[in-house]
Amino acid sequence: MMGWLRHHRQALAAALHRLRLQAATTLLTALAMGVAISLPSGLYLGLSNLARVAGNLPAQPEISLFLDAGASAEQKQALAARLKQPDIAQARFVPRDEALAALSAAQDLTDITAGLTENPLPDAWIVQPRDASRTALARVSDSLGKLPGVAETHLDSQWAERLQAALAIGRTGVWLLGALFAIALIAIAGNAIRAQVLSRRDEILVSRLIGATDRHIRRPFLYLGALQGLFGGLAAGGVLAVAGAILRPPVERLAGLYGSSFHLLPPSGAEIAVVLGLTMLFGWLGAWLTVTRSLHQVEATR
Amino acid sequence: MISFSQVTKRYPGGHEALSGVSLAIEQGELVFLTGHSGAGKSTLLKLIAAIERPTSGVVSVSGQNISRLSRRAVPYLRRNIGLVFQDHKLLFDRSVIDNVVLPLDIAGFDRRESLKRARAVIDKVGLLNREKANPISLSGGEQQRLCIARALVSRPALLLADEPTGNLDAGYAADIMAMFRDFHQVGTTLVIATHDERAINALGGRTLHLDHGRVEAVPT
Repeated sequence: MMGWLRHHRQALAAALHRLRLQAATTLLTALAMGVAISLPSGLYLGLSNLARVAGNLPAQPEISLFLDAGASAEQKQALAARLKQPDIAQARFVPRDEALAALSAAQDLTDITAGLTENPLPDAWIVQPRDASRTALARVSDSLGKLPGVAETHLDSQWAERLQAALAIGRTGVWLLGALFAIALIAIAGNAIRAQVLSRRDEILVSRLIGATDRHIRRPFLYLGALQGLFGGLAAGGVLAVAGAILRPPVERLAGLYGSSFHLLPPSGAEIAVVLGLTMLFGWLGAWLTVTRSLHQVEATR
Repeated sequence: MISFSQVTKRYPGGHEALSGVSLAIEQGELVFLTGHSGAGKSTLLKLIAAIERPTSGVVSVSGQNISRLSRRAVPYLRRNIGLVFQDHKLLFDRSVIDNVVLPLDIAGFDRRESLKRARAVIDKVGLLNREKANPISLSGGEQQRLCIARALVSRPALLLADEPTGNLDAGYAADIMAMFRDFHQVGTTLVIATHDERAINALGGRTLHLDHGRVEAVPT
């Protein structure tokens, strides 16, 4: 156990020493990795910010139910009872006065609404069905539209669906790009480690001859790969921080033009930890593949 | 301790280094391998240390069949074998003492204990005043003694030496052979490939003569 711990400590120290010795190479490799990682993680960040914009809008499809101006009190009660049934997730009544007030406040149409002699808006219900699938929505919308006292139903799910579909494509893209760049990362790390392995061929050979296990020989290189991956992840963080600082003012100006107080959010601590963890993992993997290959080549001289 | 049964080793390209060799070496024995260069001495040593595998036949070391030994098990076999190479195989990126301590580091010994043992063995080969030096600054004889120190530091039960006195002048060669005699006297099994007749005569022990990959009987 103590021997095992010591081996790991020695391997880590050796790896750090190697990286320091070749600071310039380490830095360049970290930069190459950083750029590679920053593409998928930057896209991910952009998407999650976009999703946040979308999240402020009702992403859940809704049915707007407009009442007949002359609907009787019984009809209204019957409708309210119908909307308490289990196929409806949520229903909110919007009285016509409130709708008018909201309209004039939200769209800054006070000038126009003030000129109205009477409220042209009907009473309305905003209904969220439990089943949000396309067919279920249409069915519920249809059945509600046939109730007495209902003038019109309006299914305003289309734009939300389109936005969600677009975001879903974006997320798939992130995964795809992420997978591609993970391969790139393994290749970059593997290549960096290969140079190290070549420069220490004698040591590997001699160690094997005097009883070192593959695991023992591999260990410092694995630490090297993981550390290189970590530095790559940190470099990606730097790239993204710079990109974020450059993008922030124009994005906030654009948001301001739309009357929104939206601003770009940096990644969360957990997201940073996941990215660093993944880059370390892929650095480690690249090192493992390279060293294992060279180990078998060294011994293949038999 | 070591037994060869009808062992043939053919290298890629068709050169047959050993042809149907059968022999047995007992624990604690001192055995010299002689023969002209290319007779198969090095190959025989490499087979014992599992650096090479036999093309056919069975090589058994401490009861383990070398041909069947998995890659994973090889290091543990080698930890019980001290190897002295003709070309020393020293590492020039570290000091004399770090070269000697390497087998103990690999086996996971406590660092302080390792250094103590390494120093003792460096003292024995007469390099104590050079322990901080880089091996590249050592003479050929000193490098050879360093290689021997590294082979002995883990106190192996078996020492294999390939031309340990090759390229050395007579004085150094006698020193090294005297060291081998000491280790033989404390029970280490030694297999030494050499054509240093004086050493063989001085130390006694059994001689196996190899000729074109075959063991010839040697009158004792």
